[in-house]
Amino acid sequence: MGRKWTWGQAIGCLLTALLLIAVLHPFLWLVVAAFKPENEFMKYPPTVFASSYGFDSFIRVWDTIPLVAFFRNTIIFSAGVMAISVLLDSMAGYAFARLRFKGNKTLFTLVLITMMVPFQVLMIPLFVEVFKLGMLDTYWGLIIPRAASAFGIYLMRSFFISLPKDLEESGRVDGFNEFQIYWRLMLPLCKPVMITLGIFHLMNNWNDLLYPLMLTSSTEMRTLSAGLAMFVGQRNIEYGPTLAASLLALLPLLIVYVFAQRFFVQGVATSGMKG
Amino acid sequence: MRRSLRSYLAGWNRPERAAYLFIAPALAILLLFTVVPLLATLAISTMNMDVFLQVKGFIGLDHFERLLGDDRLIDAIKHTLYFAGVEVPLQIILALLTAVYLSRNTRWRKLLRSVYFVPSICSFTAIGIVASFLLDPQTGVYPAYLVNLGLPRLEFFRDPAWAMPSVIALTVWRSFGYSMIILVAGIQSIPDSYYEAAQLDGAGKARQLFSITIPMLMPSLSFCVITTTIAAMQVFDQIFVTTQGGPLNKTETIVGYIYNTGFKMAPYDLGYASAISVMLFVFIMAITLVMNRYFLRREADMA
Repeated sequence: MGRKWTWGQAIGCLLTALLLIAVLHPFLWLVVAAFKPENEFMKYPPTVFASSYGFDSFIRVWDTIPLVAFFRNTIIFSAGVMAISVLLDSMAGYAFARLRFKGNKTLFTLVLITMMVPFQVLMIPLFVEVFKLGMLDTYWGLIIPRAASAFGIYLMRSFFISLPKDLEESGRVDGFNEFQIYWRLMLPLCKPVMITLGIFHLMNNWNDLLYPLMLTSSTEMRTLSAGLAMFVGQRNIEYGPTLAASLLALLPLLIVYVFAQRFFVQGVATSGMKG
Repeated sequence: MRRSLRSYLAGWNRPERAAYLFIAPALAILLLFTVVPLLATLAISTMNMDVFLQVKGFIGLDHFERLLGDDRLIDAIKHTLYFAGVEVPLQIILALLTAVYLSRNTRWRKLLRSVYFVPSICSFTAIGIVASFLLDPQTGVYPAYLVNLGLPRLEFFRDPAWAMPSVIALTVWRSFGYSMIILVAGIQSIPDSYYEAAQLDGAGKARQLFSITIPMLMPSLSFCVITTTIAAMQVFDQIFVTTQGGPLNKTETIVGYIYNTGFKMAPYDLGYASAISVMLFVFIMAITLVMNRYFLRREADMA
């Protein structure tokens, strides 16, 4: 405590603390508001705190919004994409990093080019394509177009390249075939990067709005993001349940973040290293 | 027979052939759902097509001619540029300031970093709903705070002049932590010896920031600027949830207009919507290339 504070440190500390409040305030408000009774939202002037709290909103939300279906769809969609994409990305990344074959460089360059194409440019033909395949408004229609990602291939490739040379040789000596070398020798070494990539996919797909909005048409197939956005658009539902639903939609990722923070951060930080 | 099958399979076990099996699934997906749609966008943009996928013939470049005289599109472009022009600098400056201040690994700074990143893992749907409540002119607490401070009551998302600034504030609030994480990683990879040498030369903190941190950070910084700009050109989610393009279409952006043209407004003109997509693609590519060249030159100058 005997440390002397300079003006710069004091101002820095003050500003970051203010920013901390600005970042946290909406979340704290949401948590409080989700437990308020419905009539408290109509009070004027508005207040943050209420005179009584209860689980009313959390009970009524299941009747007002098809939240069970939204959760089920979101979990199947984002977990499905996560599992399949991590597998396919790691296979392709492995081959690009460690196997010599004709066209390796050219094909990898093509993969990097596809990373630059924004989804918004593709969305109309993608919609047409998924429709023609008869997969509109189905889980496969949501999962398959996202089942491999250029960023994932890029990330896995840079990891596999960093593994020691001649690792394959020990597998070949043991009589492994090429797939066993990848599966039994290489994959166990890249658990951290697979988790990083998996969480990156999970976060992006859980939160995505436009993609599931376009590829689903019935309310029962909507994801949390798309479904809640449509419900808010109608503007005739109650306040409490809407906020309760928003809080419930945020909670799973926030819980994963608390326990696996470094994987979230790594995914984002490595996406910045590719330049 | 069995032997030939076995020798056939053994042939696929050679690394140079097995590689194709490893890359085939992922490349098939990318080809089918990225490359084909990209080419198809170009094709559809020259056709008359509605949402029931009825193609009513090839019309060449008519859609592109229509682009030029479409006032609503011009407005959407203006709104998008307004958004990008204000949001990107704000987000980058806030991210840079916090990254510089928080890059050292003390317990408090690590905690602040993790909290600042939290909004980035939240969907725009959920935080957009929360923002609509907080900023509601009648029942929201933020307008009430303004009144308590003796400031005029703002209508935020409902006011044509304030709707876009509100959307911008919401976006900066959500996304600065994301850029901050990238910049912190960049700052932490700068060797300490550079700063030690600068201290020996008597350089102060400010001098160190402008002579070491920012030049050494250029690759990460340019990555942030370019990706944030690309994201800003595609802005859609937060607007769809909060203002739906209103009031008076003042927050309708290019992607919002594509969505409205193709999927929301009769006659669901997918052909014309594709033509706008093609225009957006050209826009984004041009901006990326120009920025990339600019930053590469800056990096070369500074090296």
